[in-house]
Amino acid sequence: MTTGNLRDLYQQVILERYKKPKFRGVTAPVHRHQRGHNPSCGDTIELTVQLDGTGDRIEEVRFEGEGCAIAMASADLMAEAMRGKTTAEALDMVQRFQTMMQGKAEFSTEHRKLNVMQGVSQFPVRIKCATLTWHTLKAALEASTQPTEFVSNE
Amino acid sequence: MTIIQEKTLSARTRPDFPILNQTIHGQPLVYLDNAATSQKPIAVLEALRQYYEHDNANVHRGVHTLSSRATDAYEGARDQVAAFVKAASRQEIVFTRNASEAINLVAYSWALSTLKPGDEIVLSVMEHHSNLVPWQMMAQRTGAVLQHVELTETEEFDFEQFKSLLSEKTKLVAVVHVSNTLGCINPVKEICVEAHKVGARVLIDACQSVPHMAIDVQELDCDWLVASGHKMCAPTGIGFLYGKLDLLRSQPPFMGGGEMIADVFLDHSTYADLPHKFEAGTPAIGEAIALGAAVEYLSKIGMDQIHAYEEDLTRYLFRQLATIPELRIYGPKPNADGSGRAALASFTAGGVHPHDLSTILDQAGVAIRAGHHCTQPLHRYLKAQSTARASLYFYNTREEIDVFVAALKDAIEFFGGLFG
Ligand SMILES: Cc1ncc(COP(=O)(O)O)c(C=O)c1O
Repeated sequence: MTTGNLRDLYQQVILERYKKPKFRGVTAPVHRHQRGHNPSCGDTIELTVQLDGTGDRIEEVRFEGEGCAIAMASADLMAEAMRGKTTAEALDMVQRFQTMMQGKAEFSTEHRKLNVMQGVSQFPVRIKCATLTWHTLKAALEASTQPTEFVSNE
Repeated sequence: MTIIQEKTLSARTRPDFPILNQTIHGQPLVYLDNAATSQKPIAVLEALRQYYEHDNANVHRGVHTLSSRATDAYEGARDQVAAFVKAASRQEIVFTRNASEAINLVAYSWALSTLKPGDEIVLSVMEHHSNLVPWQMMAQRTGAVLQHVELTETEEFDFEQFKSLLSEKTKLVAVVHVSNTLGCINPVKEICVEAHKVGARVLIDACQSVPHMAIDVQELDCDWLVASGHKMCAPTGIGFLYGKLDLLRSQPPFMGGGEMIADVFLDHSTYADLPHKFEAGTPAIGEAIALGAAVEYLSKIGMDQIHAYEEDLTRYLFRQLATIPELRIYGPKPNADGSGRAALASFTAGGVHPHDLSTILDQAGVAIRAGHHCTQPLHRYLKAQSTARASLYFYNTREEIDVFVAALKDAIEFFGGLFG
C-alpha cells in the first residue's frame, strides 16, 4: 500500500522531526512573533524569532502549533536552517522553498536537508501544509517588532 | 437476510454511478466522502442532457414551445420536491443555489425584518458554518442574542439544556437534523413542539437527513427546512427551502430582479406570488430539473429502504472500526442494529493527523474527508483540532468498508512506532 510516492512524501527525516521536533517552543527573548493559520484544515502555527544585536540576523526560530506531519516537520527543518541567517538570506530561502514546492528548484548542499520536503510537490493538495510555516516566517520578518494579525496561506 | 438485502441494494445501484467504476493510484475507488457531496446517477445526468439537447429555454418568459416545455419541466421538479418532503403545497418549495442560500434567504427576509434587540436565537454547538454565520450576521444587525445548545455525555444534542434556554424571548430555533460531523440524529419533531410552545419559529438544516431518510415536513411541523441537491444525487447549484405557506407569504422578498415581480414601475414594484417571489432572476433550470430526476431516482429505490440499508452498513462500519484501538470516534454509538445515528464516522487516530491519514488512504483509492468539516466551533468544543471522516451512501458496500478499514490500519502502522 505504501507506494513509492508515499515514501517520498513521508521520508524518515520527516516522520522523525514530526515525532521529535528540535525547535518546538518559544525563543527568549522574543523579537518577532507571528501566528499563521490554514483555514481549510484548521492547522495553526506560532513562530517566535530571536534576532542578534544588529536586529538583522536570526539567532533562533522556534515554533508552537498543531498540524500534520508535513506542516510540523517543515517548521522544524525551517527553524534549524534559519540559524545565523540575515533577514535577506532568510527571505531568499522562503522564495526558494516556494519554488521547490512547484517542483522547480532545490536547495544547495548547505541546506540539502530541506530537500526532503521535495516529495510534497507531488501532492498538490498538501503544498499548503508545507508552506504555512514559511509564509508565517516571511510575515514575521517583514513585520515591525509588533506582532501582526494572523497570516493565512489562502 | 440483511446481507442479501444489502447486496441487492448496492449491487443494484452501482451500475447507475459510472464514476465509481475507476481506479485511483491503481486501486479501485472507494468513495467515502458522501457527506460532502454524493455521486450522481445516470438518470440525473440524462435529465440534464435531455433538457439541454431538447428543451432548453428560459422559463416563465415565452409563449413558444421550448419555453413552455422548460417551464413545465422546471415546475414539475418543484412538484417532485414538494411530494418528496410531503409539503402541503408546491408553493412552499423555493429553489435556491444550495442550503446555505436557503438559510440566508430566511435570515435576510424574515430575521432582518422581525428580530428586535434582545430577542434570542437558539442554535447548537454542532451547527455547520452555514447555520451559524448568517445568524451571527443577523445578531449584529438586529441586536438579537445567540444561544447555543451544547452536547450530552454521549455527544448528542442536549435536549434538557435546550428546553431550559427557551423563553418568550426566543424567536428562532435553527438546528441541524443530522450532524455532518457527529452523525447524531436530533429530535427535531420534539424541538419544534417545545419551540412552538414559546412562540418561536424553527428552521431545520436537513442537508444530511433528506438524502438518507424519509422526511415529512408536516409531521415535523417545522417552519422552514433547507437542503442541498448535491448531497442527494443532484448536481451542484441547486437546493431548496421549504417554508410554511402563511409564513413565506408574510416574508418580504430576499433579492430583487426579474421573475419575482408582478408589476414593475420605475419607482416601485409589486411582487409575484409564491414561490416566485423568492426566485429572482433566471433560475438554475437544468439543475432543478435534474434535482427532480434525483428525487424520482431516490423515491424509486425507496427512502425507507435506503435508510435501512445504511443502518446495516453503519452497524458493520462501527464493528470494523472497533478493531482499531487507536481510534477516537466522535458522536453517539449506533444501536445494536445500526440504527440511531447516521452512516458516517468522524474520528482521530492516535497521533496521526487527519490530513496525513487522508493522503495515505487516497493512495489506497479511499476518499475520506480530513479537516473541520465546516464545524469549527464543534471541533473546538470537542477539543479536536481536526478529524477524519468517512461517510457512506446507499451505493457503498461492506467490501468497501473492509478496504477502508484495512487501509486505515496500514496508515496507522505506517506512522506506527512513532507514538508507541
Ligand atoms: C449539515 C450541513 N449543513 C449545511 C451544509 C451546507 O451545504 P451547502 O454548502 O450545499 O450550502 C452542509 C454541507 O456541507 C451540511 O453538511
